[in-house]
Amino acid sequence: MSLFFIVIRQLAEFQAMASSKKVITREEWEKRLSNVKVRKEDMNKLVMNFLVTEGYVEAAEKFRLESGTEPDIDLATITDRMAVKKAVQSGNVEDAIEKVNDLNPEILDTNPQLFFHLQQQRLIELIRNGKVEEALEFAQEELAPRGEENQGFLEELERTVALLAFEDVTNCPVGDLLDISQRLKTASEVNAAILTSQSHEKDPKLPSLLKMLIWAQNQLDEKATYPRINDLSTAALEDPAV
Amino acid sequence: MPTSATSNHPSRPEDLIGRLNSAHTPYEAKLKALRDLKNQIIGNRTKKLAFLKLGAVPSVVSILSSAAAAQGGGGDNREFYESVLIQSAAVIGSFACGLDAGVKAVLDAGAFPLLLSLISHLNEKVADAGARSLKLIYQSKRAPKYEFLQEKNMEFLLSLLNSKNENVTGLGANIITHSCQTTAEQQALSEAGVIKRLVGLLGGSINQKDASLESLAAMVKENPEVSAKFMGPENGRALNVVIELMKDKHPRTRLLACMCLISIRNTSTSYLQDSGIKNSLVSVLLELLDDPGPVGDEAPFVLSSLITEKEDMQKIAFNANLIEKLCEHLNAGSYQAKRLQGIFLLLGDLCSKLECCRDRVLDLQVLNFVTEALAHDSAEVRTAACNFLKNVSRSVKNLSAGQFMNEAVAVPLVRLLCDSSSSVQIAALGAISNIVVDFMAHKSVLVQCGGVKQLVQLSKSMESAIRVNAVWALRNLTFLVSYRCKEEILLELTSATLISLINDPEPSVQGQALALVRNLVDGTLNSINYVFGEDGAVLHAIARQLRSTSKVEVQIQGMYTLSNVASGNELHKEAVMNQLLPQAGNDAEKTLVKFLQSTDSRLCTATLWALINLTFPGSPGTCRRVTELRNAGIITQLKNMINDHCLDVKLRARMALGQLMIFGSVWTWYTSIKV
Repeated sequence: MSLFFIVIRQLAEFQAMASSKKVITREEWEKRLSNVKVRKEDMNKLVMNFLVTEGYVEAAEKFRLESGTEPDIDLATITDRMAVKKAVQSGNVEDAIEKVNDLNPEILDTNPQLFFHLQQQRLIELIRNGKVEEALEFAQEELAPRGEENQGFLEELERTVALLAFEDVTNCPVGDLLDISQRLKTASEVNAAILTSQSHEKDPKLPSLLKMLIWAQNQLDEKATYPRINDLSTAALEDPAV
Repeated sequence: MPTSATSNHPSRPEDLIGRLNSAHTPYEAKLKALRDLKNQIIGNRTKKLAFLKLGAVPSVVSILSSAAAAQGGGGDNREFYESVLIQSAAVIGSFACGLDAGVKAVLDAGAFPLLLSLISHLNEKVADAGARSLKLIYQSKRAPKYEFLQEKNMEFLLSLLNSKNENVTGLGANIITHSCQTTAEQQALSEAGVIKRLVGLLGGSINQKDASLESLAAMVKENPEVSAKFMGPENGRALNVVIELMKDKHPRTRLLACMCLISIRNTSTSYLQDSGIKNSLVSVLLELLDDPGPVGDEAPFVLSSLITEKEDMQKIAFNANLIEKLCEHLNAGSYQAKRLQGIFLLLGDLCSKLECCRDRVLDLQVLNFVTEALAHDSAEVRTAACNFLKNVSRSVKNLSAGQFMNEAVAVPLVRLLCDSSSSVQIAALGAISNIVVDFMAHKSVLVQCGGVKQLVQLSKSMESAIRVNAVWALRNLTFLVSYRCKEEILLELTSATLISLINDPEPSVQGQALALVRNLVDGTLNSINYVFGEDGAVLHAIARQLRSTSKVEVQIQGMYTLSNVASGNELHKEAVMNQLLPQAGNDAEKTLVKFLQSTDSRLCTATLWALINLTFPGSPGTCRRVTELRNAGIITQLKNMINDHCLDVKLRARMALGQLMIFGSVWTWYTSIKV
């Protein structure tokens, strides 16, 4: 029985619970769960949606062949999008910008915040590689105008430029900018923008489902004691304290 | 450390343009230069402006032109030429994106027809590039007007809307949103079946939904027929679809759905009036105000279109705590100009009619933010702040408590009287006009900060809108003001200016000027003396205006002024009498009788007051005046008025008649005894 099945059935079960606080044993619970019907096709769609939105092209392709589930987006467009995401994640921001502009020149023209973050990432990469002079020139020519065009960016701009002032960049107050997590954040932002421009939902459905489960369990906690799923990764049912 | 000369270094702009223009550059290198240029300008407003100055646009357009011509020849180079078309179209589109100067340059260089020809290209990417760029041009006000009424154009538009390509349908919708302005155009589009197609797009992708909503709003705006057609049976449950879209995931879609519904609501008062939809609209828009992006900037304007001039909607917004939310935003700190403008616009709307709103706004200390807003860089923010002040100061309670006549408000307002933008000046005048009606007579604040000087200066402006508002402000300023204040004002104003205002070509200015004099002479004898000085030139001007004008508002103010003067001493009464009934000529007699015969009760009443004051017992010359009036046939006229349906007229006529009769009989009795 896949974890997925368990999670979804758990969720469906909550919707049929009674109103007074009662204790439900594991046996009772599992019996109820087994009465809940979930379609395989729906689950496959959820999985495909996740793979496609996150950009796992090969996995999506394979899943399609093996399960017969059709993706709701052209897999070819995923390849382009993934190339951009990968470029940002590897620190090749200029390359990423060129690719985005080839894909859809409107994206960066109509997303000042995203464009600023990409420029910011470029500066970070120059600093990381020790190219101080080039970094200064870049900051002056490319980033300062962004701050002039939009005052909301000034604070972040100051933080980024502050990197140049420190000898030991990894241990300074703004050192978090050099983390890989910063690259991932920017990459995620680009990914979302491309999806939106292609009129696709930028968030996969699966996280919403899990959030719903957690919320529903919290609601039910007020009314009953029952086997809970506490670890989403294992979807294991933990016995109620009797 | 030497910098490495890698391809990371962008080319100097001048070099880039040089390569594009030079006949010696091989075509492959031009393609690379185009791509390079594209990547430099996208997202970068500063670079766009720099390249515009270097004449980049004509260069790129000529490359586009030659590529379009060359690829007609076919052959191996087709793919290459298509790349050139794509890149040059993208560059042109980027220049036009959100930049008016760019749109102008692009249109001037003749890019428009070239881009049009790309839409029907077989290569999807080329068609996309052309459609995108045209779409961006049509998002600007500078785009060429699309003539829907020409059959060929309508056919072309329909072909765009029916395309399978999302960018192309988007272009069609944008054209409608931009160019559909007249009723005839809305009608023509509706008859061509455009609504049906747009409604179809409502079920499409996010971009299609958004584009369609905007176009529908443009089509139904102020057009009840098209509005009704939209909601008609042939369009299915289109209205319900739009209402559902108010709950869409995407903030921009929600905003546009609201905009569309408001457009319908404001056009046909029989639709969308139930409280459910009213509350939904308010709550959706309220939530959108919090959006940090462009949607949050636009939301206040959409909300304003919903509540402006509509008391019931303002009440709903008030109950939904809109004021509190706006204050939160003000407290949160510096916003972009557009958002600040939106906030003050909404506050102005809310305070326009409802006292509860004005109270709440003042309780929450919003006035603390006004000083800064009045000095903001953006003229639109300054105007919005002034209009807000004008509306909130309609609160008599707070006005008389002296809430507004303080330095924090008065001083920056007066400064705005010499603002470079005339719309700011007019808005400031509007605010000052209200604020000076201050019953606690703290008007010296205004006088001290040079306000009177400014107002007098503006009363001589060439723009009639400014003149009228300036005089209005002066009029309000002189209401119930101290004698000393009147002196100061008149000293600044001078009789000569006053006379020229009374004789102003605009009737609205004449009316305000006369009302100003009326306020000036109101009060003690000194006031009257002061205004009329030695030569009575002002009085003369008033009387002359009364004789020549046909506008009843001007007549009323003039008559009340004369009436006030006639409440003075013998000299004053005589002066008025001479003006109303001069010895020579019949015209003046007619004026007095004419006014008494007016169908406007207000004018009759004003004239009656003048008569009453002229014939008031106790003054030496009253008898003489009574005789003159009797001889002019006034008694007959008055007898016709003693049963008038208007209470004011009836009572004043009886009073005047009574005075005339008493004197008449006394005089007759006296003379009869004498003889």
